[in-house]
Amino acid sequence: MGLSGFDHHDRAGSGALDAAAALRRQAPQRLRAALGSRPVAAVRSFVVVLGVWWGLSLWNANPIQLPAPPAVFAALANVASDGELLENAMISTGRLALSLVIAVAMAVPLGFWMGMSRRAHAYIDPVVEMLRPISGIAWIPLALFIFGVGDTLPVFIMTYVAFFPLLLNTIAGVRGVSRRLVQAAETMGVSRAAIVRRVIMPAALPSIVVGFRLAFAGAWAAIVAAELIGAPSGLGFAIEWYRQLLMTPKIFAYIMAIGFVGYVCDQLLQGLQRRLTPWTDRSRG
Amino acid sequence: MSAASAREATPKLRFTAVAKEFVAPRTGKRTLAVTDVGLSIEAGEFVCVVGPSGCGKSTIMNLVAGLDAPTSGTITMDGRPIAGPGADRGVMFQDYALYPWLTVSQNIGFGLENGTPGRGLSRAERDARVRHFVELVRLKGAEDKFPHQLSGGMCQRVALARLLANGPDVLLMDEPLGALDAQTRLILQVELLRIWGETAPRAERKTAIFITHDIEEAVFLADRVVVMGTGPGRIRAILPIDLPRPREEGTRADPRFAALTKQVWELIRDDAYQAIG
Repeated sequence: MGLSGFDHHDRAGSGALDAAAALRRQAPQRLRAALGSRPVAAVRSFVVVLGVWWGLSLWNANPIQLPAPPAVFAALANVASDGELLENAMISTGRLALSLVIAVAMAVPLGFWMGMSRRAHAYIDPVVEMLRPISGIAWIPLALFIFGVGDTLPVFIMTYVAFFPLLLNTIAGVRGVSRRLVQAAETMGVSRAAIVRRVIMPAALPSIVVGFRLAFAGAWAAIVAAELIGAPSGLGFAIEWYRQLLMTPKIFAYIMAIGFVGYVCDQLLQGLQRRLTPWTDRSRG
Repeated sequence: MSAASAREATPKLRFTAVAKEFVAPRTGKRTLAVTDVGLSIEAGEFVCVVGPSGCGKSTIMNLVAGLDAPTSGTITMDGRPIAGPGADRGVMFQDYALYPWLTVSQNIGFGLENGTPGRGLSRAERDARVRHFVELVRLKGAEDKFPHQLSGGMCQRVALARLLANGPDVLLMDEPLGALDAQTRLILQVELLRIWGETAPRAERKTAIFITHDIEEAVFLADRVVVMGTGPGRIRAILPIDLPRPREEGTRADPRFAALTKQVWELIRDDAYQAIG
């Protein structure tokens, strides 16, 4: 899901740049360019979604199933102002960060090993390929037996989900390192260890960073399921809590918060990607 | 016999009945890239290898670099068989092989920083050497740019500077001036000869193997031109180029230059026509 979405995003970004250039060039085109620019387009989309939502809620006329936008925004303001939204968001993002750190610590070294040793790959890959299609959510019931309700279960599930894209992208990155770059280092008398550190690691980095973004997207999607069942706190738990209280507007408020936090984190990761691997960014040059 | 004359008796590089066969990994299909290559190159000699595409020019370079091993025959350097890659034989690759995450300066200093050429040099000495070669290839002002911000010609000059900064005994260059426009190319040819040591006594010159498909370039640069043919790749002829050094603009006007160029072309022509079908 992630990659094609990101590409589209980048293209939209360069479209905005073109629009900005047009803005400077000619006054009559200004209005059209401004209406087509990204923030304005985003606002228009939101207005349409909001309108459809409101219409549906009026037609449905059951606030437990679908509350009207004002009720949801009031609920959002309510949970935001008394601090519970922030608290739950901090708990969830904290779990997310911990899971990603554990997943990186396990998947990246393993990926380097499997990428550089055909033998290691031949032995480990079948296990990976067997586990990979199993959704992280499938492990929740079993994890409940083992870890019980608490912090460990969501962290375990998210680590599991984040592990595979990181591992596969690290392997692909290491295997995709241009032979020429390694050969060039060999003809400069660079030792094997230094080649790994100075050539293979930086050359594989762009692919690993992409893997990290995919890992984040997967883990963030899994956190709700994990907290829904297996945690006493967090954004997912809050949704389940308000479901039991039949407080649909607050459920919606938390759903929106999950989307918003995910969006902000992805923007931060995109910025990190541009800083870490500027040579892969084709729009600059 | 003195030690000096004994050294002269051993060529810098010697190919004896070298053949290289490639086996395609999946199909197992065998391709004979080069066969029956016999050649001696003296220290300080500038040898150009010309030939149509598919004649195994790049294979020859990889063998000398130690990136490939011959299927049969031997290649020796200073009398010792080549066992693998080493910084005594610097390579300038056709595709430059620059590191995209490093700046121009860092690319040029890569071997000094991480490889054997930098051993025993202080940081200041390394930096000075990098600066020297940055200036030599006229990249001053572009030191902190990344390869993706450079033109093809500039990348080529970075690769050349990196090769020279490592100070190898033997320079192996695979079509190093191929991506340049005609004018820059002529300028860099003269510059390359100066860097190689054209004006220095022969003992101080480096040994150079220069692969090109440009016949005039080969004749202009070389002490000897090795003409290769296809099907399988083999040496067709070795021509001594007795044009006076240092070579300059006027060299191309020399009637002998035209005659030698014509001679090389006649040796290549049939293969070249076959190569384009």
